[in-house]
Amino acid sequence: MSRTITVEGDVNAIDTRTLLTSQGSVTAPSLVVPAGMTKIKQFVATGAADGLAAGHGIFFVRLGGNAVLGGEQTIMFGGEDSIAVQAGSDAAPSLGSFFKLDDADIDVRPSDTITIAAELAGVDVGDTTVAITLVYGK
Amino acid sequence: MSKLYRSREGTISAVDTKTQLSTLGSETAPGPLLVPAGIRTLHAVITAMATSQAVAADGSVILRLEGPGLPEGPETLVVGSQGVSVATGGHGSRTANRIILDIPVTVANEILLFGENVGEDVGDVTLGATLEFI
Repeated sequence: MSRTITVEGDVNAIDTRTLLTSQGSVTAPSLVVPAGMTKIKQFVATGAADGLAAGHGIFFVRLGGNAVLGGEQTIMFGGEDSIAVQAGSDAAPSLGSFFKLDDADIDVRPSDTITIAAELAGVDVGDTTVAITLVYGK
Repeated sequence: MSKLYRSREGTISAVDTKTQLSTLGSETAPGPLLVPAGIRTLHAVITAMATSQAVAADGSVILRLEGPGLPEGPETLVVGSQGVSVATGGHGSRTANRIILDIPVTVANEILLFGENVGEDVGDVTLGATLEFI
């Protein structure tokens, strides 16, 4: 049996730990690890940037809180780069990245709270959006 | 035994120059990346990169793993590559890559991570690496 939690948010400041606590129309989904779930089995993440600043940054997640055993886990999941276009030109779109880590195998404590934070490290590329799914199991 | 994930990142500004990855976003001094207690192997490495695209050139990026935490000696891995024909108007989105390994490690000892832009200078490169321990 598996359970999932998905959170998302904007990561608009470079080198800043940004808690992901919303889920679109659900503003405060529960971040309590479901009863009976003892592991994060899979980690899935996506991110994209508007590219309105010329920069280059890499996305990573911080999985922490009382529910995560073994200390804070940090995982890289993508990169964004952008350089300003010449005057009068259109910029190419950013289609976003999608990273899936099967068999993540991270120990968690059921019925305790997990924190999911994302960061863009490097040089600011403008506004970015991130969404992360954790798949819990035993 | 479950897995543990430890990461570092940094910016590479010169071609063919070994550059240590010693920060982690909002943590400017996270300290040495030590092999955690109870770990027996480096099971995989996850890397993510992005470039400034500020130079019309093409080059690759590699990761070097060194230090006393690796009793068999240093290792190197390919991260990715980058090329543009003009230095204006680029926009890239890159997915992280994961390479499965089986490298012995020494608990409580440091692993040093270095990035390097090889080939032609592609401008500045931000490189992040996650070590996946079992």
